[in-house]
Amino acid sequence: MHELFEHTADLGLRATAPNLNTLFEEMAACLVSAMVEDPASVRPLQEVKIELAGADREFLLFDWLKELLLRFDTDHVLFASFDVQVSDTGLTARVRGETYDPARHVLAHEVKAITYHELKVVQEGNEWLAEVIVDI
Amino acid sequence: MNKQAYSGPLEHIGCCCHRIPKSYKAGMRVDGHIYANDKLLEAIRKDQAPDQVANVATLPGIQVASIAMPDIHWGYGFCIGGVCATDPDEGGVITPGGIGFDINCGVRLLKTNLFLDDVKHHMRELVKALFYSVPSGAGRTGKYKFDTTETRRLMGEGPKFVINRGCGVTRDLEHTEANGLIEGGDPHQVSDHAVKRGAEQCGTLGSGNHFMEVQVVDSVFDADVAKVFGLELNQVCVMIHSGSRGLGYQVCDDSLAVFRNCPAKYGFELPDRQLACAPVDSPEGRRYIAAMRAAANYGFCNRQLLMQQAREVFASVFGRSWEALGMEMLYDVAHNIAKLEEHTVEGKKKKVWVHRKGATRAFPAGHPEVPEAFRAVGQPVIIPGDMGRASWVLVGSQGAMEKTFGTTCHGAGRAMSRTAAKTDAAGRKIDKELEHRGVIAMASSRHGLAEEQPKAYKNVDDVVEVVHEADLSRRVARMRPLGVIKG
Repeated sequence: MHELFEHTADLGLRATAPNLNTLFEEMAACLVSAMVEDPASVRPLQEVKIELAGADREFLLFDWLKELLLRFDTDHVLFASFDVQVSDTGLTARVRGETYDPARHVLAHEVKAITYHELKVVQEGNEWLAEVIVDI
Repeated sequence: MNKQAYSGPLEHIGCCCHRIPKSYKAGMRVDGHIYANDKLLEAIRKDQAPDQVANVATLPGIQVASIAMPDIHWGYGFCIGGVCATDPDEGGVITPGGIGFDINCGVRLLKTNLFLDDVKHHMRELVKALFYSVPSGAGRTGKYKFDTTETRRLMGEGPKFVINRGCGVTRDLEHTEANGLIEGGDPHQVSDHAVKRGAEQCGTLGSGNHFMEVQVVDSVFDADVAKVFGLELNQVCVMIHSGSRGLGYQVCDDSLAVFRNCPAKYGFELPDRQLACAPVDSPEGRRYIAAMRAAANYGFCNRQLLMQQAREVFASVFGRSWEALGMEMLYDVAHNIAKLEEHTVEGKKKKVWVHRKGATRAFPAGHPEVPEAFRAVGQPVIIPGDMGRASWVLVGSQGAMEKTFGTTCHGAGRAMSRTAAKTDAAGRKIDKELEHRGVIAMASSRHGLAEEQPKAYKNVDDVVEVVHEADLSRRVARMRPLGVIKG
């Protein structure tokens, strides 16, 4: 489950999940929901593999979202589905999406960047919670 | 979440200045100073922005005070509207959080020799033409394409690079902060990712609060200074608010990844990771400074290309060249930047790194960095407000040199979150409401106008009143919007 929450000048992304893999997938979907009016309009036509190293889970989440944002900004790819494996030393992900097409995709916000502000990955009972503020 | 009100101390110490004593929080090296009146203070207390002012006061090498302008609002790490000066000789740091992701986000004001009567029947046509000619909004690329080598050259040379290709004239440079070129920038310290993000975005507005506005001068407060600035009642101007686009965001991003390990390496603690910083005099600090300066030069180029597109649109709509329409720049100011400047601290002149995160340089008359044309009166300060009410031109004053490291406010400051503004606008037609107020507005995103509606901002007139009273800058002229394009 994921949602956007408010922050004075910017936007917050929040997700909860039963495990870390799903948590990272949900946060990626949450980022897409901040960028595109209708995330369901993005089709999983091409696949890319992303590998990131890092033991700190919060920094790993930051790097993960940053990587997805960079792919949009440089290769103009929007993402539809995510398959993430988080380990103690980093993550590997298979990500599917398609090239941004102004005729079919309505962009909602230009996310400038992911921030460290209030960045959070925590386990609460049986559930994982993540929060991050993005700069709009 | 985190929307608790600030309940800590704010002691009035005179001249619209309110103090957070350094005893408020462990680790504060100096006091916090927030400039505001009672009305603005009430809004400022509603979130944790004052706490962020206190956090900034913990930065190594900070001088005098962690300062905030009356348009302060809750940011990430630094509050927006924050100013801090650090001394490299006292272990002072450089912090990307004190500059912002959008390095050299800033404002440029372009004058015309047109008056309200000349444009009022052409506004719809003019706004449409601007909207379809000037790329705005997320995902848009510009008509100017630069390859990676050219993008690096552009960062090394500043707007001179695009002027040499016919986009503007040399005198534009004299009316740009730092003459459009911050020395010491090194384009080779800017990552390939950043260059790639910026290569096709130069000359685009972006989204968020960025805009291009056609405005009319509706009040003149200081006729003598207005005359020097070439502003008069009912005159039409164009205001441009944008920054260094994806290139600047990526430079900031890259530096945060490097700086995350610096506190442990250099032995200091930070209350918020977004305040990540490195000593100015360290390999990490020096590399970031070189990249940040290069990105700032890109920001000046972006506004130069945006201005040139505005000039071309006016020429086509009014059937005269931009020169014949008197489309000369008043000035271009950066309001997200850090600069090495000479200031007097406790009676001693020293060079400090002044971080301005949503704050504008406001140098007074006689300062050597004020362009010769304005040196007798002071630097023009351009303050964008919201798209329904007003924007301002102020002039730098001596008080700013004495109290705020030569700095004043940068805008109205948000009063509502984006989500709250969107909810508030549900069922309303913001473009129609603006039209009733005499403003034609066009935005490329569905929620752009809702999130940026006038109500989402504090009243810029209140903010300007405080900086005028506190002598951080003085009122010259007020402009109201006639036409707006947004992302």
